[in-house]
Amino acid sequence: MEYILKEPERQISTKIIQIWRTTNTIGHGSFLLGFGALLAASHFWDWYNWVHITLYVLIGITVLSAIFSIWIEPVFIQRTWRYEVDEKFIQLKHGRWNVEHKIIPMAKIEYVTTDQGPFLRKAGLYSLNIGTTASSHKIPAIPEEEALKLRSLIASYANVKEDDSFE
Amino acid sequence: MSNSQEAKRYHPAYLLVELFEFLRNSFFFILFLFIFNFDVTSGWIFWAKLVFLSAAAFTIGKIFLSWWLHTYEVDHASITLREGIFVKKVRTIAFDRVQNKKTSTSFIHNWFKLTSLTLETGTSNEEASVRFPVLKRQEAEAIIEIIEKGTAAETPVSESEEGESDGSLPVRPEKSARVEYFRSTNKDTLRAAFTSLSFLAIFPILLTVYFQVDEFFTLEDDAENAVLYFADHLWLLTPLFIVAILISSVIGYVITTIRYGNYRIEADRDRIYITRGVGQVHTFSIQRNKVQAIQIEQPLMKRIWGIVEVKLISAEAVSIGDELATNSLYPFMKTKEAYALLGELLPQYTVQDNLTRLPRNTIWLKLLRPYYVTVIVAVALWFFRPSILWVAGVLFAISLISRLFDYLFTRYALEGDSIQIRTGGFTTTTFITRRERIQEIEVSQSKLQRAFGVRSLRFTNRAKPIHVSSIQDVPDGLGNKFKHWFVQRKVKFE
Repeated sequence: MEYILKEPERQISTKIIQIWRTTNTIGHGSFLLGFGALLAASHFWDWYNWVHITLYVLIGITVLSAIFSIWIEPVFIQRTWRYEVDEKFIQLKHGRWNVEHKIIPMAKIEYVTTDQGPFLRKAGLYSLNIGTTASSHKIPAIPEEEALKLRSLIASYANVKEDDSFE
Repeated sequence: MSNSQEAKRYHPAYLLVELFEFLRNSFFFILFLFIFNFDVTSGWIFWAKLVFLSAAAFTIGKIFLSWWLHTYEVDHASITLREGIFVKKVRTIAFDRVQNKKTSTSFIHNWFKLTSLTLETGTSNEEASVRFPVLKRQEAEAIIEIIEKGTAAETPVSESEEGESDGSLPVRPEKSARVEYFRSTNKDTLRAAFTSLSFLAIFPILLTVYFQVDEFFTLEDDAENAVLYFADHLWLLTPLFIVAILISSVIGYVITTIRYGNYRIEADRDRIYITRGVGQVHTFSIQRNKVQAIQIEQPLMKRIWGIVEVKLISAEAVSIGDELATNSLYPFMKTKEAYALLGELLPQYTVQDNLTRLPRNTIWLKLLRPYYVTVIVAVALWFFRPSILWVAGVLFAISLISRLFDYLFTRYALEGDSIQIRTGGFTTTTFITRRERIQEIEVSQSKLQRAFGVRSLRFTNRAKPIHVSSIQDVPDGLGNKFKHWFVQRKVKFE
């Protein structure tokens, strides 16, 4: 019997865009603060010249990266994220410039968990973690009800252990 | 003798083995502190001597205490180890958990007719293996026998039923006969010595010795005189050079013999056994149906000589604290011979001859990709050492050649149940695995790749650590074919 691979279609919640914007602002902000403090210290105690240059370069990179990952990236990631779960496989697909498509056999799945940080809790979302012996994967933002249903669904599918040996 | 119930101490030779190990590990410290700086009794060297002496006293004390306190107990199903001097630790390892066993016999072991035995379990944490530093040979054999009996009963009877009329012999497990598939000859060892370039090893050694001696006796002036002398009598250098090469060839040959001499590959129905080394004998065995994949490595040098190193990828096969991984079949085998051997040992993994090359336009894609390393080095040199900026040029040339080679040598085949990919520039790696052995896959495509209509494939196999293989720039069509091939995996369910 031929198994037909369905192109993944389920999307993640749009609320995640705002959350990513907030968390990325915090992350980049703290880096900028850190570099700024180092720069001040460097001027104050007159450190080497190359330290100044390096710090200015780092600050420049952080600013550029902030523009990208606060205003541009979240929208694209959310828009392109797709996943699909069926009896045999979990599929994860995302990315606009770099499209990545992962296929994980259900039988290889060792655990599935949901977690929720403060921002996700406020938005009523969960992220779903799927672990195999080889790696772990994350579906970033699924509405609460759906996430819990998906978790028990995967757990029941994954309960089947396959026989690893062959002749 | 194997079913002894009471806890036992290790053979007293444990002390000798461990002390020798300690001396070997601290050889350079001793040489430096107590030979070269024999009469120095002040400054940091003096303190270093004190630190070394107290560390040595501590270690030696620990060795004696360990011997006194560590015990082991073997019964019919498990081994119990009691370890620890201050923190007591009791470990029990059930035999049916043991996946691999290795023995290693050094010359001290040989004197007392002993050996060391390492048992590996399937788990991946640091407690995964049990090591007996010294063990009577028949004791080691008895343990191995118990384990083999256990695993033989555990593995499903698959290919042949004929040898399974057991119950008649309770002591000896019914094993199918071991067949020898490969035994290295002197010619092989010679080839190994030359390919590994071990005959060049003498030059760095000579240089180190020179600088070491120079430090203490200020040879510089004498050396300068010597250099001047030889510069005047250049013809004198030739015989010297020949003698040096000859000596180092002999040393290289001896080293290679110690490591790879007497190499044997044997197999019975369930397992493959590898034995190697002269003086210090290492053995290693792996269950045939636990082999996850095969990896064939060929550095440029080996490609020129037409030899390959075949590695068996398995979640169980790892070398523990051993300088050489033994999960490779003979590392210096003629390509044809290796492939034939592989076909016999592991018929599930056949090496495909009919491989496809990358699309021709991908050569531009490969050359177009950013040269990160070159750029970083160039910028760094421009700032700090503008005088040697040419190094960046050399680096650029090397990466160009490597990318060209990568394009030329990369090949793939997706046929039946198996996939085979070959990647790499200067060193090519061929990887063969089966659909059922792949844990998960990923097909990806960057913006640049999209313009060329190509993709990258990645797949993961169980190994220690996890083995991820990838091939870049294969046609779009193959990407889709790969996905659909993977989801047709037929697996048996328990």
